Amino acid sequence: MSEIKKHDTPMVDQLKSGPWPSFVDDIYSYGEKHKKQCAFDLMGQLELSYKHKETHWKHGGIVGVFGYGGGVIGRYSDQQEKFPSIWAFHTIRVHHPAGKWYHTAALRKLCDMWDHRGSGFVNFHGSTGDMVLLGTTTEQLEPVFFDLTHQFHWDLGGSGSNLRSPACCMGKSRCEWALFDTQEIDYELTMHFQDELHRPAFPYKFKFKFSGCPLDCVAAIARADLSFIGTWIDEIQIDQEAVKAYVNGELKPNAGAFSDRDWGPFDIKKEVIDLCPTKCMHWDEKEQKLYINNKDCVRCMHCIAVMPKALKPGKDRGVSILIGAKSVILEGAQLSTLLIPFMRLEPPYDDVKELVYKIWDYWMEVGKNRERVGELIQRIGLNRFIVDVMGMKPIPQHVRIPRNDPYIFWREEEVPGGWKRDIKEFRKRHPA
Amino acid sequence: MADEKVIEKLKELWTKYEEIDGKFDEEMDPVFKEPYYPGVAEKLFNPDKPMENRITDIGPPYFRQFLPPIIKKNYGKWVSHEIIQPGVLKYESETGDVIYVVRCGTPRLETTDYIREICDIADKYCDGYVRWTTRNNIEFHVDSEEKLKALIEDLKNRKHPNGSYKFPIGGTGASVSNIVHTQGWIHCHTPAIDASGVVKSIMDELFEYFGSHKLPAKTRLALACCLNMCGAVHCSDIAIVGIHRKPPMVEDDRIQHVCEIPLAIAACPLGAIKPATVEIDGQKKKTVRVNAERCMFCGNCYTMCPAMPIADGEGDGIAIVVGGKVTNRISPPKFSRVVIPFIPNEPPRWPTAVKWIKHILEVYSQHANKYERVGDWIERIGWEKFFELTDIPFTEKSIDDYRLAYTTYRTSTHFKFTKHIEIK
Amino acid sequence: MDKAELKQKILEVMEAKIKKGGKTKIYLKDLQREIPGANPREIKNAANELVREGKLEYFSTGSTVMFGLPGVGMGLEAGVEKPEE
Ligand code: HEM
Ligand code: SF4
Ligand code: SF4
Ligand code: SF4
Ligand code: SF4
Repeated sequence: MSEIKKHDTPMVDQLKSGPWPSFVDDIYSYGEKHKKQCAFDLMGQLELSYKHKETHWKHGGIVGVFGYGGGVIGRYSDQQEKFPSIWAFHTIRVHHPAGKWYHTAALRKLCDMWDHRGSGFVNFHGSTGDMVLLGTTTEQLEPVFFDLTHQFHWDLGGSGSNLRSPACCMGKSRCEWALFDTQEIDYELTMHFQDELHRPAFPYKFKFKFSGCPLDCVAAIARADLSFIGTWIDEIQIDQEAVKAYVNGELKPNAGAFSDRDWGPFDIKKEVIDLCPTKCMHWDEKEQKLYINNKDCVRCMHCIAVMPKALKPGKDRGVSILIGAKSVILEGAQLSTLLIPFMRLEPPYDDVKELVYKIWDYWMEVGKNRERVGELIQRIGLNRFIVDVMGMKPIPQHVRIPRNDPYIFWREEEVPGGWKRDIKEFRKRHPA
Repeated sequence: MADEKVIEKLKELWTKYEEIDGKFDEEMDPVFKEPYYPGVAEKLFNPDKPMENRITDIGPPYFRQFLPPIIKKNYGKWVSHEIIQPGVLKYESETGDVIYVVRCGTPRLETTDYIREICDIADKYCDGYVRWTTRNNIEFHVDSEEKLKALIEDLKNRKHPNGSYKFPIGGTGASVSNIVHTQGWIHCHTPAIDASGVVKSIMDELFEYFGSHKLPAKTRLALACCLNMCGAVHCSDIAIVGIHRKPPMVEDDRIQHVCEIPLAIAACPLGAIKPATVEIDGQKKKTVRVNAERCMFCGNCYTMCPAMPIADGEGDGIAIVVGGKVTNRISPPKFSRVVIPFIPNEPPRWPTAVKWIKHILEVYSQHANKYERVGDWIERIGWEKFFELTDIPFTEKSIDDYRLAYTTYRTSTHFKFTKHIEIK
Repeated sequence: MDKAELKQKILEVMEAKIKKGGKTKIYLKDLQREIPGANPREIKNAANELVREGKLEYFSTGSTVMFGLPGVGMGLEAGVEKPEE
């Protein structure tokens, strides 16, 4: 077709070579096949960015479809003349299914919809988890939403000051270490909090992430305002025969994760016992038997990951709940802080919902604009948050080490006689 | 089908969905058996009555309908796994069932045709089921060794026109898995660097580490193109962050019309923005002034106000941070630390940044113990030793001066003598 | 305060802000400050209902969402500037 206008992109073209999948080849092939101007304009604008070393996108105030305060990010090119087909090029976030499993019947249909209504470019997935549809015009937003809801029974994800799309590890669907059903709770909470997900409710964003065990494959501890990490309370299950098989070299340590380098024969002392962070393990060479002092175990998963066929997490399972992770904006990066060491989970997870409402109510009331819940806890103090807000008992597990300064904010009722004193009485004892 | 008929059919399917609250489990939602009907949205949506026919708050499809039958059958029953070769896993269930998984890298930024090709493969070998990982890899599941062999062979032979692999196999075990990254110049308004181009350049160079298990432990790379850090770079083994180095400019003649000035002022974490008034062509205009001395180039003001652009071709570039991790394995999760404060943008292949990343990875690989993540290795040998071994010049920029900086100072006499100490 | 009253109050707050020549877009937090008697969740629900009725609209700042009166102040499309005040 003659109306397609191509641009010279010598720098961008250099990203076609090399072994790693080339997005440039993909986008150009797509543009040629479907005769889509936006493929050529997008690459043209990228070339311009490579020349100027600056972005050429600007941002608009659009947030969503009618009645939704999230799910769409407004995007406009500042090169309307040069690249008219991408002048308005909005992003639509589509909520991924828990665990990111798909069937091709759904994916193919989505592709057909997106070819028709948008650029045909996507991110699988955004770093929060949504499927990201990149690039369409304002007029197409409502039709895309009507298509998604009527023809796919599928909804948008979160953005802005909303609950963001929760994310979980693949959990029980494939992992033997899943200590709770990450996908089921992800779905249940996603459905329960639909209003908060689609309409602004909070001072800033809020994220849930669910990892089935302390290996934390979805980075819950680094990226979620409320992190759920599977753990156990009883004893690591040991199959002594299988331990021996590892020691004798019959089984591959760490399931074969180190196969391309000669690290020498497996040495249980060096590779497991000595690396246990609490030194709570003992290998009895004579007896050929492994001992674990489970009372001292901090459930780091190392020994289990090294000898997966011999060791399994305990049987009494639940989650640790941590609060407040975020990256640097604004007050500096934070990891989540332990709030509830252990909770057993039972659908429909009413105690989790109750906990969530308690946190939200306080944050909505006291949080400042753009203040994440982790920053709020910093501002008021973890001690006040635990005791006054959550009404929980403070325990040593809440801190890594106790405070070193004695600048304690005592409460009046904690001090015998209170704070009201009589200066005259004082002076009777201590003449000035 | 005529549009009216289609709408009727869709209403029927919606009723079915509502009957079971969308909880399709054994059977997939029949709506996916219907082809895509391009014209009906315009019939259903009425701009004058936007609430008419509007379905809201339904969330994503129930995940169980997309689980392969063998996964559903063995849900929660898996007992062990083994990586039989890089990128290929075998899982065993207590029921005796076995599945094989092939993990492939993707560029994350892709077209519907690329997704369709994934669908072709999944239809051919996996009964149509496919899964994505948190690190933008795809996983194909098969139930026999024959299918596995054929699948691997097929994947190896799929290439883009200029020879790059469409589906490189790897990302398991002691490898460099796919890079978690962000939008960059492809689709964001605040980046200091590109994302997809930098990632492609790094992964081309580290390709052998994606498809092998020769590192001391798994190594997680991430990239964020500005300090908003949409990707989890603050807890990665090696990561790239885009940074600005010039304070924002202020468009006096425009700011009043495109920004809420109080918001722009409130956006600055350091209080560097103050209200001001200027006279332009005899007219008084409200604007702001930036105290450049105080600015740490975070770009928050520009996020809130388009009349305060901060990006600059010469000013912007890459910072490299290392030593963070997420997992609780052996040691607790930790943050990454700034080791190279600035590398200029060098499109299209960012050679300096790529060279340093590869160098850091290889020095780590040479010196770390088995199971030791980058951060654990550095903590064992000491940061001074890390700077010596890698030959990264240590500058005052790596000394923290933000909140809690004091916790990073050395308050002991425990240090190692490295080349950094000059003795007269 | 019942919901109808609360909705009325929200609209009054918005209009008063604009009359003062101040902000045209405000956060939920600002509404809360102006209507101290009401609970944050109820304010949120009322404001979101006003959006559904077309009496308020959302505005994205890039990372957060604000509320505004439709057509007043910064437009939803980029490059569409607010009218001269
Ligand atoms: C049964 C064994 C395991 C399974 C099934 C599993 C599953 C996964 C999957 C599918 C991913 C995404 C991977 C990718 O895209 O390449 C992932 C990422 C990850 N895994 Fe695992 N994993 C296992 C073991 C481990 C181990 C042994 C560790 C710790 C040493 C670990 C820590 C992580 C971390 C930190 C991530 C990256 C999360 C992020 O940065 O977003 N996992 N895991
Ligand atoms: S977080 Fe744990 S349970 Fe979940 S996939 Fe990773 S290793 Fe398995
Ligand atoms: S899980 Fe970690 S702490 Fe517990 S015994 Fe194993 S290595 Fe030690
Ligand atoms: S990291 Fe910054 S520049 Fe990159 S996509 Fe996120 S907000 Fe945009
Ligand atoms: S870049 Fe950051 S520190 Fe500098 S003026 Fe803007 S908001 Fe303030």
